[in-house]
Amino acid sequence: MKTKAMVIVAFMAGVLAISLPMFAHHGAAAYDMSKPIVLKDAVITEFLWINPHPLIKADYKDEKGNVQHWTMEMGSTPASQLIGWTRTSLKPGDVVTLYVWQAKTGLTVGRFNKVVLADGKTMRDTQTGADNGGRADTGVGRSR
Amino acid sequence: MRNLLAGVIVSVAAVLALSSAAIAQTGESQSNQTSKAKSPWKYYPMDRAVGPGGPAPKRDLSGTWAGPGSGAAVPRGTNAQDPTAPPMTPLGQRLFDMHKPIGKYSPAGTNDPHTRYCDPFGFPQNMTDEIRGITITTLADRTFILIQYMNIWREIWTDGRALPTDVESGKDGLDPRYNGYSVGHWEDDYTFVVDTTGLDPNTWATKNGYPHTINAHVQERFHRDSKNDMTLTMTMDDPKLYTKQFFLGEQHFRWIPNQMFDEFNCIPSQVQEYLKEMGDPAGYDLHAAPQRR
Repeated sequence: MKTKAMVIVAFMAGVLAISLPMFAHHGAAAYDMSKPIVLKDAVITEFLWINPHPLIKADYKDEKGNVQHWTMEMGSTPASQLIGWTRTSLKPGDVVTLYVWQAKTGLTVGRFNKVVLADGKTMRDTQTGADNGGRADTGVGRSR
Repeated sequence: MRNLLAGVIVSVAAVLALSSAAIAQTGESQSNQTSKAKSPWKYYPMDRAVGPGGPAPKRDLSGTWAGPGSGAAVPRGTNAQDPTAPPMTPLGQRLFDMHKPIGKYSPAGTNDPHTRYCDPFGFPQNMTDEIRGITITTLADRTFILIQYMNIWREIWTDGRALPTDVESGKDGLDPRYNGYSVGHWEDDYTFVVDTTGLDPNTWATKNGYPHTINAHVQERFHRDSKNDMTLTMTMDDPKLYTKQFFLGEQHFRWIPNQMFDEFNCIPSQVQEYLKEMGDPAGYDLHAAPQRR
């Protein structure tokens, strides 16, 4: 019963999302959108508030203790600002959990999904920030 | 179960209805911003003109307008983002086949000179792609369109001069330009028509890679629908490349209440960093489902 209700909600959210104008400069074809990689206790090394897309750089220590250097892109700065991002939202040294749609090349780059900050607050990507990879900026930029 | 499903549907419908009602309220603008003090220097996309705002002023497009990429809920328009071209000539097809647009090839595989190097879009692409905000202003003999993205201005002469006839051959003694050569006139009190030719041949006509020649003739029709609404329709005649007129799309613009928009540029050094760190390592997948933009 709950599942069916959630399917309906997801469908209607999808309808809304399709009606939104797009901000992206390109699609997500290069990324594996089936399941985000979770980088728990990643340390932000740089947050570049640049065009065409801001970049989040972070170090993540895997289960074997090896440090992986990750880079991920977000929605454009104007689109990200609409859902609360600023150029100071992340700072070097912040310890966070990052969710990222990894590139199909297998390199440690990807499309940002969401971040859980140290205080528990979650911030998402505009375009691929929903847990299913869909848009997370519903209600912003909607056609009148 | 039915009750739950019905409840869900009613709830979502209510949310939609409430948001529609909020948008439909009368008044000059609608604000969804927080109660924080607003800066007169900042663009607030959630501050939106509401309704038509009154009748269209005659022969006046002056002001600052939000376009479809502004985040201000401007309707997306028709055909403008990924236009479909009419049948191409063999030359048109050959040129088109050389272009690898970002929508299919991603940043790593595209040869779009703007995506890779921040080269200017040139006209007409700069009136269809990344249209976030524009300002229109007028002198006695010219109208200027100031385009937010890349801080570009276009100059449209309204003093009655004729368009160059053949920039491509060099007979006019003119070189092609990124924004071409433009003349404009009022067709009626609410429709401003702009004709442009002499376009730089290195630019693409559209984001999805359709080409143009230097002598392409692009016509824009700006229609002031109301105080708060303007509609732009664009066509291109380029018989060397296309067998029929190319409808480049229709776009809508809405009046920005505080007349501000933010800066947004393609910065070559930032793009190089982006491509090195992100775009190129991410690669591309030609077999992925088609992507919008």
